[in-house]
Amino acid sequence: MVRLDDLHPEEAAGMRAAVSRFGYIDQEATPWITPPPLSESTICLVTSAALHRRDDVPFRFGDSGYRLIPDDIDPNDLVQSQVSVNFDRTHYQRDMNVVLPIDRLHELRYAGEIGGVSALHFSVQGASPDASTFEAAAADMANRMKELGVDAALLVPV
Amino acid sequence: MPFPLGRPLGVADDPAFQRDVLRSALKLLESATEPTIVDYPNEAPDANGEGVWACAIELPTPEMSELESAVRSEIDLLMPRYQEARRSRGRSTFGMSGATIDQVDKVVSFAIAVAEGSGFEDVPSAASGPNWRHAMPILVRFVVEDLRALYQEAVTSDASSRPPSQREMHTWIFQETALGQLLKQIAQQITDHDDPRLRLMRGFIIPEGFWDGDRAFGGVPAGMSPDDYVRSIRPYLIGEQS
Repeated sequence: MVRLDDLHPEEAAGMRAAVSRFGYIDQEATPWITPPPLSESTICLVTSAALHRRDDVPFRFGDSGYRLIPDDIDPNDLVQSQVSVNFDRTHYQRDMNVVLPIDRLHELRYAGEIGGVSALHFSVQGASPDASTFEAAAADMANRMKELGVDAALLVPV
Repeated sequence: MPFPLGRPLGVADDPAFQRDVLRSALKLLESATEPTIVDYPNEAPDANGEGVWACAIELPTPEMSELESAVRSEIDLLMPRYQEARRSRGRSTFGMSGATIDQVDKVVSFAIAVAEGSGFEDVPSAASGPNWRHAMPILVRFVVEDLRALYQEAVTSDASSRPPSQREMHTWIFQETALGQLLKQIAQQITDHDDPRLRLMRGFIIPEGFWDGDRAFGGVPAGMSPDDYVRSIRPYLIGEQS
């Protein structure tokens, strides 16, 4: 993620304060699964950029749900309802792969580096002060990934 | 990944670099045996930028007394580049508010009305028509974002030139355009509004460092944690509570 030194001092101070309030994952209690080799794995993307299809219900401020993004989405059908003004949209506006690297995943698949690309990807709205509010959405997304035959999810944090 | 906030894959239009970021992340699946954090070792290709970015489209110096006509004039000048960008990229991010690009005049009418004091309770009467997709007052935030999207996509339409950093873009908008003056006037309306819960939204419109006052987001009431404060005013901002 971005270096704190690259942020405005007020914003960096806010980030430091927020991080100090985060809970930490108990690694001892976290199940570890060894996935199939990459060349046999189907990968999906999970973006926290609050991206969604133009006709989807937009993410509202504080929304802890998720939206589905078809792998073959028309790029012009992709919009973003993240409220923060403090992150860089200029590159995303030029190239969606900066936050949702669907084209890059397909290039890795054509090269045989990964086994497949999920038919659906997932989008949430980051910057929530309380990660526990995402638990229901995370469980539902995990079930959907199983149905889709996904072996690994790549979280693309924004 | 040591890239600017909002750019987890580094830079636009650089497939080789983006693939390298992806490979580096995915390969952890084959090497890690427990939860693992590894720093990506490379800087984004434009990390230091070459020269100072400047808008290639010359806009007239805006006058506060003619803010609406100044914004509309800017949009008239920018629209051909916006349409060019839309054609060449096959996409546009305009439309978060619910308005279409053909309804941009209503988007401007909305923002001008709010800047002139129409309030934050109801959609301004001059802005009827679009299928607005958010409730007041948070809709103001997305109306602003659509105007920014139009400006940003227009001035980055030249695929051969380096896109500006977010700070360069903010600096251009807030120091050189009528849109920046419009956004500051909306922020002033928020500041002057009776309901202090609205102040949080000022920070969604004015980035830190570009508001001539206290923090763009305003303060947190004494004795309240930032998280609890945000949680308490969220229903008001999304229109679920008056």
